[in-house]
Amino acid sequence: MEHVLEVRSLVHRYGERIVLAGVDLTVDAGECVALLGPNGAGKTTVVRNVIGLIKGDSGLVRAAGGDPRNPEVRSRMGVVQQSVGFPRSLTVWEIVGGAAARRGRPAEAARRAIAEVGLTGLEDRRAAKLSGGQQQRLQLAMGLVGDPVLLVLDEPTEGLDVEARRRFWDTMRQRLRDGAGVLITTHLVEEAASVADRVVVLDRGRVVAEGTPDELRRLLPDRRIEIRTGLSADVIRALDSVHSVEERGGRMLITTNDSEQVVRTLFELDPEATDLTVATASLEEVLVALTHHEEVAA
Amino acid sequence: MNWRIFRYEVRDEILTIVREPAALFFTVVMPVAFFALFAAMFGGEGGFGMTSLATYGAFGTLSVVLMNPGIGLADARERGWLRVKRADGIPLRVTLSAKVTAALPYAIVTLAGIALVANLTGGPLDPIQTLRVVGILVLGATPFALFSLAVGARFSPNAASAVLNAVLIPSVVLSGLWFPLEIMPGWMGRLAAWMPPYHLSRLAVAQVEGGPVWVHIGFLLATAIVGAVVAALAYRSAEA
Repeated sequence: MEHVLEVRSLVHRYGERIVLAGVDLTVDAGECVALLGPNGAGKTTVVRNVIGLIKGDSGLVRAAGGDPRNPEVRSRMGVVQQSVGFPRSLTVWEIVGGAAARRGRPAEAARRAIAEVGLTGLEDRRAAKLSGGQQQRLQLAMGLVGDPVLLVLDEPTEGLDVEARRRFWDTMRQRLRDGAGVLITTHLVEEAASVADRVVVLDRGRVVAEGTPDELRRLLPDRRIEIRTGLSADVIRALDSVHSVEERGGRMLITTNDSEQVVRTLFELDPEATDLTVATASLEEVLVALTHHEEVAA
Repeated sequence: MNWRIFRYEVRDEILTIVREPAALFFTVVMPVAFFALFAAMFGGEGGFGMTSLATYGAFGTLSVVLMNPGIGLADARERGWLRVKRADGIPLRVTLSAKVTAALPYAIVTLAGIALVANLTGGPLDPIQTLRVVGILVLGATPFALFSLAVGARFSPNAASAVLNAVLIPSVVLSGLWFPLEIMPGWMGRLAAWMPPYHLSRLAVAQVEGGPVWVHIGFLLATAIVGAVVAALAYRSAEA
């Protein structure tokens, strides 16, 4: 399978501070990779290297078939960045139409991209007057006009309402089917996991885990038990294999790595206990555990 | 240079200036209005003619070329729009060239306004001489745009506006572009010989009254070289 993005041993420093300490990452054509990690993990620095805005101190970055520092290579990518604004004076049509024209694409390509992100009817609106979510979609439309081989999306669903998020993921699924590769960072972990083929977890500038969402979930043996019981939190906390206990809405939320034994003991101590559910760890919990573990180890 | 990208960049820049009435007021309306005021106050019977177009026109041109590119760049940086454009495959040097190029038509509009007032108050202007003065002023002001970009690459829009005004106003006064150096203290005339705006205006005046031009051209070339170095350093920081 052809890599549309290849990052090898990427090291990036800001002054003396090492932000990326040898990151390896690939995205294949038609593959969606979610880059996850806590704040300050280095996700945005990876993204800025990938889209050629900055250059690492060492390592290799090849994106969309070339060096992303080359503007022509960048024009083969679609990018959504965090915290950007549009000029007060330009309209939606002037921005997306201009992005198409610069790439030598017809106006029809701009019209399609605007429709794809759900901004049809707003073509004459000044871009700066759009809502935050609409501006995110406008940025995406700029990237889509060139039929990019690689989409790099830094928190792209930030500020989108439910309907806009659904439309966004539909667009991504269609682009993936068409063969584009997607690298996405987001704090909506479960949402990303529903689309991502692979997840890469970054912490303190290093890749600490990588795999499919299911493979990562299996890294955390903990189960979550929810039960309505008359037992106090202190009594439950004293049981073997219980890691944490929290009381919420009259129910006890318990994490453990031996759910069968804990459930058996709970019913021995309180035969009247009801409303039992046992669930595997969520990807978000895995992420917290992985990055917390790294902090302790560091 | 990718000319297709450049064309659309210039278009966007021109639209941005046209649709910002405040920018038009300070860079076009104000210099012309000031010129009309000075012509009414100090013009006398002869009015403000071709020589005044050359000196005051230098101020009008600099107010556009020194202010617009830098403030526009600072605004694009602060909004994150510059990052969007770079990620979209637009080379930074094309964006910067477009900002300078887009300022030039406005400088010409400003000069046209000043020429109109000069024509009304100082008698009919020779069209060929007028074109030569306008051409020299627009071409000769380009090195100042490099300083403007350097400021825009380092400061916020408000700070860039303040810094550029702090450079523009004293340098045009000390260069004798507002008030003739003949009526100013002697030290000012000696200082003016080291001010780049003075040499721009003298080069334009030479098109009307004759006189040496190479010393002024040399000074403006040196200004362009220093401006290019300063802009290149600022360009690097904007790229980082």
